[in-house]
Amino acid sequence: MATEGQQSNTSQRLPLELIAECTGSKLWIIMKNDKELVGTLRGFDDYVNMVLEDVTEFENTPEGIRTNQLDQILLNGNNICLLIPGGSGPLGDQ
Amino acid sequence: MHRSSSDIIPLDLAVDQIIRMIFRTAAKKESILDLNRYIDKQISVKFSGGREVVGLLKGYDTLVNLVLDECEEFIRDPEEGQRVGNEKRHLGIVVCRGSAVMLISPMDGTEEIANPYANGEAI
Repeated sequence: MATEGQQSNTSQRLPLELIAECTGSKLWIIMKNDKELVGTLRGFDDYVNMVLEDVTEFENTPEGIRTNQLDQILLNGNNICLLIPGGSGPLGDQ
Repeated sequence: MHRSSSDIIPLDLAVDQIIRMIFRTAAKKESILDLNRYIDKQISVKFSGGREVVGLLKGYDTLVNLVLDECEEFIRDPEEGQRVGNEKRHLGIVVCRGSAVMLISPMDGTEEIANPYANGEAI
């Protein structure tokens, strides 16, 4: 089933391949809610549950951005919205 | 009561036709969502939870995970969760999780109109 959809366009980038290329490097994750995480990707599965290291968690609140530092986490893929390879985080690129 | 060989040939053809039909329907099974049309085009994506981005579609899979290039996210009011005007932040190349995608629409042929409800008139 997976190959059927892709046979007509070989030039396109497959989303999960792009994530796989990120293993070992920094990844910026934006959740459905007002949380964002930046960390080093160690691995992920079909549900895009992720193991991350050296994670900074950013929480966007009306008072400003609250940060939290975490050594190693297993992140449930259920609430992930956007994944940004090599992302510098919400504070980095502005 | 004598059967000619011509009786057999139509049956043969019928079987052949049935086989063709089966294969045709198998080949015809395609997605109702033809995202291939929007490759390298600007699309707008809304997510469950209220986020909204625009970007150039670079790839997708059967679960509607998307790859967007030159992606920008609309800034929202942290208290209301609603989009505030056209203020955006740049994200670059991103992967959108299919499970969070709620709406996809091409930007081509889309134009923004003034909010008809802005002055508080009830209908």
